[in-house]
Amino acid sequence: MGVMRLGYMHVRVTDLEEAKQHYSNTLGMKIVAEDGARAHLKCWDEWDHHSLVLEEGGVGLVKAGYKCATAEDLDIFEHRAFAFGATVSRMSKGDNLAVGDGVRVVLPSDHVIELYHDIEYGGTETGTLNPDPWPRARRGVGVPWIDHFLVTADDPATTERFMTEVLDFRASERAITDPADPELIGTWLYCGDSPHDFAVVKGPNGKLHHFGFCLNDWNELLRAGDLFAMDDVPVDVGPTRHGITRGGTIYFFDPSGNRNEVFCGGYRTGPDFPGITWTADQLAKGIFYISREMSERFLTVVT
Amino acid sequence: MHRVTVLPDGVCLPGHPGETILDTVVRAGFRYPYACRRGGCATCKVQLTAGRVVYPRRFAATVLCREEQAAGVCLSCRAVPDGDVVILLQEGDRLCCVSPIRFGQPFFSDTRE
Repeated sequence: MGVMRLGYMHVRVTDLEEAKQHYSNTLGMKIVAEDGARAHLKCWDEWDHHSLVLEEGGVGLVKAGYKCATAEDLDIFEHRAFAFGATVSRMSKGDNLAVGDGVRVVLPSDHVIELYHDIEYGGTETGTLNPDPWPRARRGVGVPWIDHFLVTADDPATTERFMTEVLDFRASERAITDPADPELIGTWLYCGDSPHDFAVVKGPNGKLHHFGFCLNDWNELLRAGDLFAMDDVPVDVGPTRHGITRGGTIYFFDPSGNRNEVFCGGYRTGPDFPGITWTADQLAKGIFYISREMSERFLTVVT
Repeated sequence: MHRVTVLPDGVCLPGHPGETILDTVVRAGFRYPYACRRGGCATCKVQLTAGRVVYPRRFAATVLCREEQAAGVCLSCRAVPDGDVVILLQEGDRLCCVSPIRFGQPFFSDTRE
């Protein structure tokens, strides 16, 4: 059955209190657990225990967790990852708060992902019995869920090969240099029916470009922008639209300098999606559809 | 009140107590390359050629390490001057003046004119 979705992001933040303010008050996540150096948070429309772990000290990605449909998936993926030649290890229930046994893999891009099946149930804030469409106590931007993250890698093609061969991800969109002699400079990969659950672009190994939260529509996106102004959140790009994924977007920075995204829209994929290609000469339109101009800041800042 | 002098342009700006170097520059209507404004991306690094700074808010050692600090590299979005300071922008960077806003004129002007 395979990987279902991105389950959690685990990131480093220089100041845990400031990070909690940003993710809970500005973005509206709920803090579900904390101990000194770490805080666990979830979005209102997520039902698993948590989707974000903030760990004090430094910046950037520690690891990300992808939830799998069955325990058998973990065995299959462990075997395939090992055959691929990746560094694989088992993680035990309790290594991560509320998360069960799983498989920890180091991608060719040096990023660590954890595959798991079992996590404690937290419940959405609207519940499962005669629910409201959104929670009455929705705070700040009120992001419903974490959707995807984008990383950089020296060799996007090998990371793409790992994600597709080992974990059955598929590419919805790929950015190449010259069609006559194509080098892969970016790939957007999905495991469900959204445009992407993981993406990698050419850049230094091991770095995080951003992780993204879903919103419903342009109105919510623009409202989020207003809240960023009110809360003095530095904005990187937007509001604008991507050519790649068709999503409306605003990129902004958390108090440590990690880049976040809120986006809306997109399209439906599924296993038979034909796949889209962007060529380097049109990549500015692919990333910034409306202005069609590259932002140096967007390209160079990673944590 | 302290002064922040920015080289190579030679512009001298008044700083508010407790204000970071970058905030002083931006408040005065200038820009040089910066991005996250939160100490995470290293874009705003400058060379501190005179004076001292303190860092009341944390940033990651991977962004600016002790060796760099000892060599005078300064993370300007996080650095608060302790007295007058002189900073040198990164190779190739120049101060851009974005204020006062005037329509119909070149937006970025050479501040030495």
